[in-house]
Amino acid sequence: MKFIHAADLHLDSPFRGLQDLPASLLTQIRESTFTAATKVFDRALAEQVDFVLLAGDLFDRAEQSVAAQAYLIEQFDRLAQAKIPVILGFGNHDYLADQHLSIAYPDNVTVLGPQVTTTTLTLQDGTTVAISGFSYDQRWVDRDPLGDFPVHAATDWHLGMLHGAVATGSGDHYAPFTVAELLAKRYDYWALGHIHQRQRLNENPPVLYAGNTQGRDRTETGDRGAYLVTNQDHRLVPEFFSTAALVWTNPTLALTTPNPTLAEIGDCLTTWLSREPAMTPELVVPTLSLNGALSAAEQAQITSGDWLALFQRTQRRVMQAVKRVVVALRWDSPVGTTAAPQLDTRYWSVGADQVFTPENLQEQFGKLAQEPALADWFADPKTAVTLREEATKLLAALAGEEDDHAS
Amino acid sequence: MHLNRLTIYGFGQFHDRTFNLRPGLSVFLGPNEAGKSTLTQFISAILFGFPTKKHPTLRYEPLDGSRFGGEIAFTHGGQDYLVTRVDGPRGGKVTLHNTTSDLKLPAESLPHLLAPMDAILFQQVYAINEPRLAAVFTTSKQELVAHLRHVGAVGSDFWLDQASQLDEAANARYKPQGRNPELNRDLQEYRDLRLKLERANAAYPKYWRLLDQQRQLNQHQASLRTQLEADRQQVAIGEQRLAKWPIYQQWATLATAADPVQAGFAPEDAATLERLVNQQRVTQESLIHDQQELAAQRQAAQLTPLFQRYLETADRLAPTLAAIPETLVAKHTAEQAHAQQADLQDRAGSIEQQYAHQGQMPRAFSLATLQEVNQLRQDLTTANQKRRRLQQNLNDLNEQFRQQQPTRQQQRNPLADKQIGWLAAGLVVLIGSLFLPSAFLKLGGALVGVAVGYYGAFIVSGGTPASQQTDELEADIRDLQAQLREGTSTTTELTNRLDTIGESHGMADIPLEEWATAQGVIAEWERLTRQLESVTTDLQTAQQKVKTFQTTVTALLPELVDQPLQDQVDQLTDLQRQQQRLATRDSDLSALSERVTRDHTRLKQATTAVTTFLQTRNVADAQAFYQQYRSVQERDQRQQRRADLAHQLGKTDLAALQGVTDEATLQAAFERARQRLAATQAQLDSGNERLATLAGQIDQLTTSGTQAVLRQKLADLETRMIATTQRWLVDRLASQWIAAALAAASSDRLPQIVAKASEFYGKLTENRYTEIELTETTLRVRRHDGEWRTVSQLSRGTAEQLDFAVKLAFAIVMTQQVQMPVVIDDGFVNFDVKRRRQAYRLLDEISRETQVILMTADTAVTENVAEQQIIQLVD
Repeated sequence: MKFIHAADLHLDSPFRGLQDLPASLLTQIRESTFTAATKVFDRALAEQVDFVLLAGDLFDRAEQSVAAQAYLIEQFDRLAQAKIPVILGFGNHDYLADQHLSIAYPDNVTVLGPQVTTTTLTLQDGTTVAISGFSYDQRWVDRDPLGDFPVHAATDWHLGMLHGAVATGSGDHYAPFTVAELLAKRYDYWALGHIHQRQRLNENPPVLYAGNTQGRDRTETGDRGAYLVTNQDHRLVPEFFSTAALVWTNPTLALTTPNPTLAEIGDCLTTWLSREPAMTPELVVPTLSLNGALSAAEQAQITSGDWLALFQRTQRRVMQAVKRVVVALRWDSPVGTTAAPQLDTRYWSVGADQVFTPENLQEQFGKLAQEPALADWFADPKTAVTLREEATKLLAALAGEEDDHAS
Repeated sequence: MHLNRLTIYGFGQFHDRTFNLRPGLSVFLGPNEAGKSTLTQFISAILFGFPTKKHPTLRYEPLDGSRFGGEIAFTHGGQDYLVTRVDGPRGGKVTLHNTTSDLKLPAESLPHLLAPMDAILFQQVYAINEPRLAAVFTTSKQELVAHLRHVGAVGSDFWLDQASQLDEAANARYKPQGRNPELNRDLQEYRDLRLKLERANAAYPKYWRLLDQQRQLNQHQASLRTQLEADRQQVAIGEQRLAKWPIYQQWATLATAADPVQAGFAPEDAATLERLVNQQRVTQESLIHDQQELAAQRQAAQLTPLFQRYLETADRLAPTLAAIPETLVAKHTAEQAHAQQADLQDRAGSIEQQYAHQGQMPRAFSLATLQEVNQLRQDLTTANQKRRRLQQNLNDLNEQFRQQQPTRQQQRNPLADKQIGWLAAGLVVLIGSLFLPSAFLKLGGALVGVAVGYYGAFIVSGGTPASQQTDELEADIRDLQAQLREGTSTTTELTNRLDTIGESHGMADIPLEEWATAQGVIAEWERLTRQLESVTTDLQTAQQKVKTFQTTVTALLPELVDQPLQDQVDQLTDLQRQQQRLATRDSDLSALSERVTRDHTRLKQATTAVTTFLQTRNVADAQAFYQQYRSVQERDQRQQRRADLAHQLGKTDLAALQGVTDEATLQAAFERARQRLAATQAQLDSGNERLATLAGQIDQLTTSGTQAVLRQKLADLETRMIATTQRWLVDRLASQWIAAALAAASSDRLPQIVAKASEFYGKLTENRYTEIELTETTLRVRRHDGEWRTVSQLSRGTAEQLDFAVKLAFAIVMTQQVQMPVVIDDGFVNFDVKRRRQAYRLLDEISRETQVILMTADTAVTENVAEQQIIQLVD
């Protein structure tokens, strides 16, 4: 028996955290989710697998992407022609509320219902496989669905398919479960979806997240793909295969000079980029670890993105050659004490205490809270920290200037 | 900083005025309307700019039309400056001179030179006037702190500058009400993009709809295709049947000729007939041949045509020849009868000529009539005799009488009259008899008339008596006359009866006397007539016989036409004789004749055989047989052909075609099938077209990438917006942070200000109030007796003194950073005399540290201030 376990294709979902990219890269990015998914289906056809399990979040229904639907229908057709069944359960992003789908998909596709259902396949060699799972019928599934899963059926194999997250005890909206519960079912394999970072929750029987097939923001670094699972001596052995069309990397680059300049940063980046070329095109978001603060003007150049744009322009050839594109830049610098000659540090901390209160932040943010895109960002607890850090960096830079000014 | 000189080109009511100021206290003294407030405004306007034209009352443009503006000479940081401002854009045209170094400085440097002082700060803190003092009621720490902050970070103009730069940068990024700042634009773009995406998302339901339509249409097309195949088959069948129609038609035609099956017209029958007819023909030929030979031989024997003809018709002529003697007798009889007839006709004709009346022969009397006539004639004769006798007697008597009466002419003789009467009567009878029908009667009547006349004239006159005798004579005469008249009437009656008889027998023209002879003649005529009839009959019979004979002869031997009978008979006899002669003489010919005869017989037999053959088949002749035979043959052929056609048509089509009445129906069915096919095809085509359109639409939706592009754009824009927002917020917060830090620093000076204000307030109120307390929200004062009063509990004057004290304290405390003259415009209106004096003293005291410019209408000021410090506004 041989099958593919994939999840979180997130077809046609946009990449987050990008701006001012070259058009060619944009096209590549736009197609990357499809390219990655195609690799899954290509592999299924190449390996002549017995079936394909898709553990949810094939697309984002909020995106209402025609391209995603058309693509799925087309790919399912490909598998149908090769007589490869597809068993899929929708997840929180593509939850089952669309009546079109079941009509539109070819017959080889089994869409699991909102209740836990078990589909039994009889393979060409007569092996029988039961697959249990369900589809989300809304954004959130707060209850633990494991109670609804049957025990191991009288088939040769029994696989579980689940889109969800391990229960944390509170705020669990994604079919919370525990590994123990999974193991208690004594299934031969648990195909999990939802967590984009592939991981193995249990060795034997395998309980694993396939991870998404294509990383879509800077946090989803590293190679992405799916599992080809084969029967080896009556054990199901998953083998990862890569599908990502673009790989995100977050290298940390240290600059040891006490007072770093943009030129030095540029050199450092170029050096890093010019290593051996990447196998898969990489989207690089380096974090610069600086020994000292940048000047306010240089900070401004970086924060405005102007410097990166210039760097991208000037280093385009290099980046093309090594298949790496620096798409954003972050830096850490030691936050020194801002010693203003005429102002006590005491006054600064008093001021900071007054300014960096949630109320003041909220007040400053003001009407922007009505912009959903910004409100989400603002609501992120990390944002307040970042704001203070950035303000500190800015004032440090200004204080440096004052020193220069004074001296 | 202190002001040295004010030079007014034109401002409000002033023009071309110069006021020199002292570094300490300068007092402008003038009544109301002297221009004190105008001067305050002048200082603000020249240093910080003219108010915009939106506020014309604040601009103090010169009333007399002189040049708007002026100049101020001031000392700042040990340098002397001269600032000139005249009317111009954006607050007026400024020129700035450093008169110490005699350098012209850029106009923009003026605000920097004066910083952090600006129009607002000047107006709020350093320009103290009564209405502003009145605003103390609203004064709070916040306001004060705002002032402080503004002036703020003492010595940290750098930080203030940075803060303001940060604010500027922040404002350039985002303004809550703005349009142009980066984030505002991004937000707008974001909204636009979202709208676009929503519109693009409309493709999603459309896509499903299209997909659904495509699926349904595909199903429909599939069924249509099946339908099309069926229709096509129908059309093919229709076409085939239509093509087979003529064949079917042929088949049908062959079928409809329902031939009765007739026996005896088989080919063998035809052969038989052929044989028979041949036999007949051969016989005929041999006959003809023999006849020809015979004819040839006869020709050789020089036989006349007549004889040849005779030979041919000999057997038929035989009875005719036998009738020859009879005919000859008949002919003789006819001749005799003809002569007799002519004689009889002559005789009858002469009689007719004699007696025929109007071409009509009188008829013979019957025996009774004859006897009656004879009797009547006898009677008539008797009567006539008697009458004659009577007449004789009468005549005698009349003679006697005339003798007796010789003068009868002298005397009137009645009898003479009587004679005339008789004559007249006789005449009448005579004439009347002429009108009688019969000749006899006329004759009779005439005779009677003559007789009467005679009797009257002669007999009666003869009886004329002479006397008695005469009378007797007369009587006798009269008697005789009577008797005569009686006899006459008898005669007349008899004559009439005879006339009647004559009339009825056509004898009217014949005199009675000839009647007897006439009767004999008539009988003779009648006999003749009868004889004539009989003769005529005989003649006709004979003639008929002759004629029949002749007709027969001429029919057989036309050569004998128009020949007299005797010649015919003679020739026939000759022919008989010749034949007998030939018969005996020429046996060959006879044999030939016999053969001809035999041939005749055989021919007859053959003909009979043919006839029998034909009759059994109920046909008139061979031609009819062959016609029938041919028709039978044709029928067989037709049946064969029909079977072939049926085979060609095929069972199914034949059955189908048999259900069809005519080609039009078939054509119509075919047409229908074709139309159905065309309709299906059209449906299919339109479906295909629609499918293509759908596919195109779906493809377009699928590949347009609009959604993806828009989403990625949105994501990117979101990223940018977050970055911008972050920078904006960081700037804002940094600015706030600076402000807060400065405020924190400034707050340390607050106690200093409060202490100073308390001091001033105490001086102003002659120590009625000793302490001022400034908290976050309140400002209150403590009376010398320890009681606390809030501002609202103070009298207006006292409250104004409080504000004055605070402001003055502020100005003094800040004096290190903000070297700005304090301008007081009639600020003590609500002060009483003592407190006003205290105020003047306080000002004088302060003016040692900072320049004070006081405008007042209070002449009492002169008591407290040195004269050289006073500038009289009104001369």
